[in-house]
Amino acid sequence: MTAEEIRDAVRVFILEDALVGEDPANLTDDLPLRTSGIIDSMGVIRLTSFLEDRFGIRVDAHETGVENTDTVNAIVAFVASKLG
Amino acid sequence: MNHDLPEDIRALQSEMRTLATGPLAGSAIERDRDAVFWAEGWRAAAEAGVLRLPVATGVGGRGLGLLATIVAMETLGRHCDDLGLLFAINAHLWAGVIPIERFGTEAQRATWLPGLLDGSLIAGHGATEPEAGSDIFGLRTTARRDGDGWILDGVKSFVANGPVADVFVVYATTDPSKGELGVAAFIVPKDAPGLVVTDPLDKAGLRSAPSGGLRLERCRVDAEALLGREGDGAACFQCSMEWERGAILAMHVGRMERQLQEAIAFVRRRTQFGRPIGSFQSVANRIVDMKLRLDTSRPLVRRIGELKDAGRQAMLEAAVAKLHVSEAAVQSSLDAVQVMGSRGYLREGVVERDLRDALGARIYSGTNEMQRVMIARLLGLPSSLPTRRAAAGDSASGGPGAEA
Repeated sequence: MTAEEIRDAVRVFILEDALVGEDPANLTDDLPLRTSGIIDSMGVIRLTSFLEDRFGIRVDAHETGVENTDTVNAIVAFVASKLG
Repeated sequence: MNHDLPEDIRALQSEMRTLATGPLAGSAIERDRDAVFWAEGWRAAAEAGVLRLPVATGVGGRGLGLLATIVAMETLGRHCDDLGLLFAINAHLWAGVIPIERFGTEAQRATWLPGLLDGSLIAGHGATEPEAGSDIFGLRTTARRDGDGWILDGVKSFVANGPVADVFVVYATTDPSKGELGVAAFIVPKDAPGLVVTDPLDKAGLRSAPSGGLRLERCRVDAEALLGREGDGAACFQCSMEWERGAILAMHVGRMERQLQEAIAFVRRRTQFGRPIGSFQSVANRIVDMKLRLDTSRPLVRRIGELKDAGRQAMLEAAVAKLHVSEAAVQSSLDAVQVMGSRGYLREGVVERDLRDALGARIYSGTNEMQRVMIARLLGLPSSLPTRRAAAGDSASGGPGAEA
């Protein structure tokens, strides 16, 4: 799976889960998601559950910090690193 | 369901049954009456390896995973009379051992896990505060850097194992403006300067599981006390709760099984109007309902173990199990009291204590009201609670936001 395919899937999830009604153009790859409060503690559980289901990866609790989940770029890099 | 279990887990069931009917045998009635922790039972459980069950072999555990641990807790709940002791064991495991195993550095694991796994050290849970229970991330305990260490200030309440603990996992905020992202976890030994352990609480149930409070008065800990990184506290706490909600409720599943078997024996034996009372439909219906609750509860807790052992997230399933099993345990206890009549109402019996113990399950590990909120949120329903984003009047575009 390419990084762009990961990015597309992550963007669709975030727009449907956390940014309902938002103009997709406003979801930039470096938009802060966790630190802005767009994705809160329940939202990050939904996000990681999605990542596990969609990409077949395992996400440990200590991997759900902002460094892996704060932006689309960070999420894509994290998933790509898991997929090797 | 037991025939579906792998052979090693069935062997563990047998091992736990031997423990519960041997070193852990006997009535807990006096310890319940006097609110006394069973130190001898703790040591017996530790020597039997109960405290090492879910922990990886590489750090001294038995590496049996969560499903095995859940089945072990079911078995202990079925055969060991002292649910308070089992609660203390669970609090130790899920609030202390697992966070240190999962979030700790190699040095922290080397320092703390040997004692926590052999039972010579007991862990306590410093999360709840007088004004931060369900709103756990609204905690007011602060942590600020002080040279190469940290100064903690605040008050913790309902600290599981508090009066007997040697070390606490304490949650504090390093930056209140960051909300849940400002929460950090700390490993605080009981002799840390400025830490005061307050008197045990006089609870209705689980009375042999001591709970108390902590006052952190300019409590100083070393830099090595930080568990994970600043901001990891929320993930650490949720990890703790995810595991706890599965395993700690398993002991109530075991107790529901015991109640059912004892209730059946009682209504077959007890006669009124010349017939066993179990022949009366109103009594039989209660027994049937007890069976239904047992059979719907057991798969829910075991499912959490299966998911975690597969490396999957189980937060939603844990909340569902916690909600269902705790309500089932309360109702099963009520039914057991009712079918046993005056005998069920006496303190010399067991089901009266079961009822008081089960009531706690609706409250600890997050109240059932909060479990419903969590389940709704994890299903994707919008929150009714204020969020940092809503409070800031912000959204990605300044337009509508889904989280508010």
